[in-house]
Amino acid sequence: MSKKIGEVILDLQNISLRFGGVKALTDISFDVRRHEIRAIIGPNGAGKSSMLNVINGVYHPQEGKIFWHGNERKRMEPHMAARQNIARTFQNIALFKGMSVLDNIMTGRVTRMKANFIEHALWFGRARQEELAHRQKVEEVIDFLEIQHIRKTPVGRLPYGLQKRVELGRALAAEPSMLLLDEPMAGMNVEEKQDMCRFILDVNDQFGTTIVLIEHDMGVVMDISDRVVVLDYGKKIGDGVPDEVKNNEDVIRAYLGAGH
Amino acid sequence: MLYREAGQFKTTYAADQQIFPIRQDRIAVIALLAVAFVGVPLFASEYWFSAILIPFLIFALAALGLNVLTGYAGQLSLGSAAFMAVGAYAAYNFQLRIEGIPIMLSFILAGLTAAGVGVLFGLPSLRIKGFYLAVATLAAQFFIVWCLTKFPWLSNNSSSGVISTQKLIVFGYELDRPVEKYLLVLSIVVLMAFAAKNMVRSSTGRAWMAVRDMDVAASVIGIRLMPTKLLAFAVSSFYCGVAGAMYAFCYLGSVEPDGFSLDMSFKILFMIIIGGVGSIMGSFLGAAFILLLPIFLDIALPYCADLFGLPFSSATVSHIQILVFGGLIMFFLIVEPHGLARLWQIAKEKLRLWPFPH
Repeated sequence: MSKKIGEVILDLQNISLRFGGVKALTDISFDVRRHEIRAIIGPNGAGKSSMLNVINGVYHPQEGKIFWHGNERKRMEPHMAARQNIARTFQNIALFKGMSVLDNIMTGRVTRMKANFIEHALWFGRARQEELAHRQKVEEVIDFLEIQHIRKTPVGRLPYGLQKRVELGRALAAEPSMLLLDEPMAGMNVEEKQDMCRFILDVNDQFGTTIVLIEHDMGVVMDISDRVVVLDYGKKIGDGVPDEVKNNEDVIRAYLGAGH
Repeated sequence: MLYREAGQFKTTYAADQQIFPIRQDRIAVIALLAVAFVGVPLFASEYWFSAILIPFLIFALAALGLNVLTGYAGQLSLGSAAFMAVGAYAAYNFQLRIEGIPIMLSFILAGLTAAGVGVLFGLPSLRIKGFYLAVATLAAQFFIVWCLTKFPWLSNNSSSGVISTQKLIVFGYELDRPVEKYLLVLSIVVLMAFAAKNMVRSSTGRAWMAVRDMDVAASVIGIRLMPTKLLAFAVSSFYCGVAGAMYAFCYLGSVEPDGFSLDMSFKILFMIIIGGVGSIMGSFLGAAFILLLPIFLDIALPYCADLFGLPFSSATVSHIQILVFGGLIMFFLIVEPHGLARLWQIAKEKLRLWPFPH
């Protein structure tokens, strides 16, 4: 492959996560390298979304260590993950329904805005300049995702596929170094899936963004990802390049059931 | 034909991001301000100023404050009247205890005092949401009114906490005529409304709305929930505080703690529900509806009764007024649950296409 996959930037070691007596994740280790597309797959309830939530600080694992760019990460809150340039989208669309597409994507740049509310109230100096400068950036994202025609539409009025795209836009607006995508193609038709795949590959290629992706569509996963982690019942049962994973006995058993 | 943005091309983001991007809106706002600042003072009577326009503006400001908190940041509050009380009593005490303090400065300090109290009672919002938060703010409502009655120092030892406000002296000029008070209130309300509009269309407002719409996603994006919510409480209470100070100084002249009752908090809440939750203009429309409609019915009902020759006593008329008022509230909520501001917005969208259906 022509693209350059770099050093390990996120290293998860022996992560265990429990909710009371329920074990969501048990002793999971894997790493993510710069510039790769890393897929996490597994049957429903395998702990994939929990894994993403651990990565961006929504859940705090009871055991295990997380290294981000070689430094061990302390317990942190989600808003700190955003400041470390990790952005994500959600399985169920988590857009701000009452706001326009433009405002939703502008919100993605919140960590880069410095003006305080008094400057905003007066709409003067730094506040005004920032709004304009960031609008420029946001328009670039809007162009990239080809959603110019709906920029002023409230997101609640958009069809599902476009909402997914806007959510990707909001994550991209933060110019993340790592992008976590939780089932970006769930519930889409073939054409929408193709568009979304194209955007994901372009993001990875043009911006050099590292992507961690949860997806159920095996065709998509095997096509676009560089390496795949397979989870089942909170345990890791496979890890490697797509072809390796495809032929892994445990993975076949988890997906097709025993006896096949 | 009249209201259409065709031909208004925007070539810069600055032009697209101005406060009123459509030319007709700009003209309408300027015209409205001209009427309010010049036209009304020329023609309105004293009764209009002191009984209708001043309270309307003051309640619109309080509703605006609540709208910042409830409409934009999504935190339900039942303590607006209490924060107004804090503003009123704080302004009174600053005037009383600090020699020669300008009235404008005590209004600002009153707002800041209310903001401080608001933040304090906003702390529960970090843990609880929705109706439960409303109950927590109810504590503010009762606690503050109780404090103002209980501690005579706050009302300068007057009986039952009644305070009579000091003279209204702005830049060395005493405002005692209703028209002067009206112009003062109007200036403050207009300035604060523009400030609020600016806040909600910038990063601050987007953070509020993000917290309102989906707080988990907001924090994942990098919005810190605690400062965002507390800022909403602070700004909201500041607006209510200034409204309260003007309520005492420019409208009634003498107030008591029980005047800032739960009833008043509900009234302000109804204003934003009817006017439009999450809309600056909705605050004004709602205040107008709640305050002016009863007055209008008062005048219109006896006239109607006469017209049809119905033998109504004044008591019956006042009962009918309440009935009609309640009925109209229900009618508007059923027709447009998002308030008058949404009706106005729909009308504007229709007007952009008119006279063509598509």
